[in-house]
Amino acid sequence: MKISFFQFLKDIFKELLSNKINFLFMCLALTISLIALNTIYSLGLSAKKQVLDALASVQFGKDAMLIIAGGGRIIGLTTTRTDTLKLEDVEEIKKLDFVTLASPMSRGTLEVSYKDFAEKLRVEGVFPNYTIANNWYPKIGRFINENDLKSMTKVCVLGADIPERLNTKNIIGEKIKIAGETFEVIGVLESKPSFGHFRRDESVIIPFTTAQRRVFNKDYIDAVKLLFREGTDMKMAENKIREILRKRHNLFGIAPDDFRIITPDLAISVFTKTMRTINVFLLAIALISLIISGVIIMNLMYANIEEKAPIIALRIALGASSKKIIEHYLIMSLFIAIISGIAGWILSLFLMEIISFFTPLKPIFSWWIFLLSFLFASFTGISFTLIPAIRASQIDPAILLKSL
Amino acid sequence: MVKKLVILKGITKTYYTGRIAYQVLRGIDLEVEEGEFLAIMGVSGSGKSTLLNIIGLLDKPDYGTYILDGQEVSKLSKKELAYIRNRKIGFVFQAFHLVPWATALENVLMPLLYRGNLKKEDEERALQFLTRLGLEKRINAKPSELSGGEQQRVAIARALITKPKLLLADEPTGNLDSKSSQEVMKIFKELNKNGLTIIMVTHDPEIAKFAQRIKIIKDGIFVEE
Ligand SMILES: Nc1ncnc2c1ncn2[C@@H]1O[C@H](COP(=O)(O)OP(=O)(O)OP(=O)(O)O)[C@@H](O)[C@H]1O
Ligand SMILES: [Mg+2]
Repeated sequence: MKISFFQFLKDIFKELLSNKINFLFMCLALTISLIALNTIYSLGLSAKKQVLDALASVQFGKDAMLIIAGGGRIIGLTTTRTDTLKLEDVEEIKKLDFVTLASPMSRGTLEVSYKDFAEKLRVEGVFPNYTIANNWYPKIGRFINENDLKSMTKVCVLGADIPERLNTKNIIGEKIKIAGETFEVIGVLESKPSFGHFRRDESVIIPFTTAQRRVFNKDYIDAVKLLFREGTDMKMAENKIREILRKRHNLFGIAPDDFRIITPDLAISVFTKTMRTINVFLLAIALISLIISGVIIMNLMYANIEEKAPIIALRIALGASSKKIIEHYLIMSLFIAIISGIAGWILSLFLMEIISFFTPLKPIFSWWIFLLSFLFASFTGISFTLIPAIRASQIDPAILLKSL
Repeated sequence: MVKKLVILKGITKTYYTGRIAYQVLRGIDLEVEEGEFLAIMGVSGSGKSTLLNIIGLLDKPDYGTYILDGQEVSKLSKKELAYIRNRKIGFVFQAFHLVPWATALENVLMPLLYRGNLKKEDEERALQFLTRLGLEKRINAKPSELSGGEQQRVAIARALITKPKLLLADEPTGNLDSKSSQEVMKIFKELNKNGLTIIMVTHDPEIAKFAQRIKIIKDGIFVEE
């Protein structure tokens, strides 16, 4: 039984090699469409991973939540008042047992100047726990502390890109102006990934109290970042917090929320949505190319079977059953699928390397893609060989005595 | 009493080319005993190959009965016919019909491959056959590296590997020079002496002489000589 099967495979493989051009084109067609499929799929994975990594790196991977003042759609203009979120609301939320940390902040875009540099930058008034809440620590110098809050000191911590923009080597201790007030630089933050238009590394951080009283002159906050106990049910957390805020803001019935709750899932879905649309489109193209390669394989299989008709007739005359003949050609297509599957996979890894040179997307290694490549190759190969294989099994062995 | 291996009664076969019917076999009756060596002769187009296809279970008659080795076979399914072909019948063709990418040895083993139980002993047996036919030095040669006579001997070894009861040969010497033809016929004679039943189609009287009995077919029917 074992020798039989080995000899059977050997015969199939030799038949494939007997027409190398045919063989090459079958593999080529399949390989090219697999490269497209694998690459597009891994680009999607890579982009998604990048978003996930980026979110995780600012402590927004999971068990976190961001509440932003002002209601409306997640992305877009606010449609309600934006001055209703207060520190007292945060105090109330903090009482929830699953909330482990709450870091309120206020923000605005203000003119920042230093020597001949003057530009509008994002200024955030924050508490010391901002570092933990966002997993964002100073790279040099120190962060805002309790004393700064109590004394309303005029100090600031800069995003990683700012010192370079200001053209200064030794920025610590320098004085910069924010909306006309002079602030002392006490630290520079480590670099963090940006989302969309918002360049995180170009923020200026100042103490919360200083921001409220001396810069923005307001009593409401713009956002609060919350961290939860590990494994907290996000849906439940969101409902409880919404309930508290609506009650405190006197919103009843159909009155819309005057705040927005952003969960990690929501953030991910917003960031990956456009990506997904493009990806689905590209995947559709890849699948169409797979079908085209299937049709090419089908035609070349037909040609092969035509060419080998006397040999197939011989096999039938010698006692091969229809099943055996069909098996023969399906295994042949599986050979092609395995070769193309491996080639398509390896070449797509190379292509990803090349793409990563020109785009921020990093190559990603995943056995899923290997499996995907194999499955699609086998599926395409086998399904498009089925009809030619059945045709082969129906060849009339009587041609053996007639073909001369 | 000698057993009848092949009994054909009233076999007819008509081919249709478009709307034109052409009756190739017009009532063939034939009995072949076990151990016989029969030659069928006739001019080109008389229906020899058509008849051999039917005897070899490669084709079905339109009418008539065919009893092979005591079994009525004219109504069997494709699958059953393939099974019987593999067990009982060996074929030798004018065009040899060897698989071009397989070695002499692999070609000989092919019928066992489709039986699905190729064993180590079979390889040994194939080597014995090839040796007996004077091909011991050519076992790993491809058909393209063999002479016509050698190719036909490989084909004979392939026909014998399944230990068939009946050997069918359609113009086995048609593509061979006279020396190789004589060699092949000597092999046939030898095999027949050892008990193998042979039905051979030829239109060469010199070749037909090797058979015990000659039947002549003319326009799809046997005629007296
Ligand atoms: N599949 C077919 N369709 C139509 N006509 C056929 C078919 N096979 C054979 N014929 C015709 O049947 C007749 C007998 O053919 P067959 O091959 O049996 O002759 P033959 O006696 O073997 O001739 P040769 O000595 O040339 O081999 C021929 O006229 C041939 O053209
Ligand atoms: Mg003929």
